[in-house]
Amino acid sequence: MPSVPRANRSRMVLILIIIVCIVVVTLYVRESDQGPLHKTQDIFLDLVSPISSGFAKILRPIKDGFINLFHLPSLSRENAELRREVADLKRKQIGAKELEAEVADLKELLNWSEKNPEMKNVGADIIGQSPDNWQRLMIVNAGSSSGVKKYMSVVTREGFLVGRIISVGSRSSVVQLITDSRSAVGARDQRSRETGVVEGRNRSTIRFVPMTDEADMKVGDVIETSGLGGTCPPDIPIGTICEIEKREKGLTLLVEVEPFVEFSKLDKVLVIITPEPESVILKEAQ
Amino acid sequence: MSRKRQVFVAGALALAFLLQLAVMPQFKLLGVQPDLLLVVAVVVAIQDGPIQGAVAGFCGGMLQDLVSPLVMGMGALTKTVTAYLAGSLKGFFVTYSILLPVILVFLAGVADPVMHQVMLIILGQEKLPPFQVNVILASAIYDVLAVLVVYPLMGRFSFPGQGDSLALLRSGGE
Repeated sequence: MPSVPRANRSRMVLILIIIVCIVVVTLYVRESDQGPLHKTQDIFLDLVSPISSGFAKILRPIKDGFINLFHLPSLSRENAELRREVADLKRKQIGAKELEAEVADLKELLNWSEKNPEMKNVGADIIGQSPDNWQRLMIVNAGSSSGVKKYMSVVTREGFLVGRIISVGSRSSVVQLITDSRSAVGARDQRSRETGVVEGRNRSTIRFVPMTDEADMKVGDVIETSGLGGTCPPDIPIGTICEIEKREKGLTLLVEVEPFVEFSKLDKVLVIITPEPESVILKEAQ
Repeated sequence: MSRKRQVFVAGALALAFLLQLAVMPQFKLLGVQPDLLLVVAVVVAIQDGPIQGAVAGFCGGMLQDLVSPLVMGMGALTKTVTAYLAGSLKGFFVTYSILLPVILVFLAGVADPVMHQVMLIILGQEKLPPFQVNVILASAIYDVLAVLVVYPLMGRFSFPGQGDSLALLRSGGE
């Protein structure tokens, strides 16, 4: 009877695959960041990044077309809003001085890298994103050959915080976005200087957890990095407070923050090379 | 499974992986993207048999794990088991309707992330991704939309002498 051994063989193959998976999971969880499986991930990232990059470039026109089509209703809404804004601005022309101040503020945000010469950075293109719905990651085409190291911060050209590097290949790296549920960044309220931690939740908004329940915060306040924790340099803008909920019986204040970065429209980022995160310096010293 | 079919399935997995990495994040609906590698594995399980599906699930899951720094091997394990179960379930039905892959892919789309979450809990991971039922359901529905394209495509590229199930598929089940 040939069918019985065939069925047994199939079962054997399945059991073998499951055993391989369990061994890989166990080894991965137990090994350090420099272990062979983590290294394999980094090498694979380098192998796949040029293909992924080429693929993304080829398909970009189709993708853009789809996005435009998909966002058509929101674009028309945006258009109407912009028209209203233009009308408002025309009225505001009388108060030209106010506008000038506004422009100066905007200029402050632009050319961030020129304004922060002490922070050296490398530019990188986004060549891939998280392949599942459970993580918020991006793959960029800059790696250890460009000086990128684990835990370095990633910002937009305007200087808004995007996330931090969590895996480095020689020519590519994985960025954990601030919206990822495992992301936690030391932050503070720019106005009141209340410190806390900004945590991602796999949603479009992030949550600021202040150190005290009595923290002085208002909707519209800007949240920026505090520099505490040793990975992110201080004063990098993260977002604005969009909602504050004080739980009656709870101990903590729930502060929702809308990030400045529109992650879906991001195509280029800057990785801050210096100052190096303290965790990297400590690791190298060890 | 014939050699040609094996090469074809390997190519389909590689393509699905690249699409998943470089393109699908831009095609999110309701904030979710389909799991193309799971869809391909389940389709292989339906068209070629549970063990072939399990191998495809393992390869697809491992590809995904290699770029996803959560826990390596976890995606491979859940996709292997999910595709195998989907292929085994298919054995209980004598139908060649498109409804069968639709239902099986939906069930697989729900089972895979649930299994993934359970495994992370068993492993004692400190910070788990939030368990969002709406995300799981939306993603499973998106998987169903994807299988409507993937299933006929993969059935069309079957090759002579690879097994009776695909021969029946091509002949419309007669």
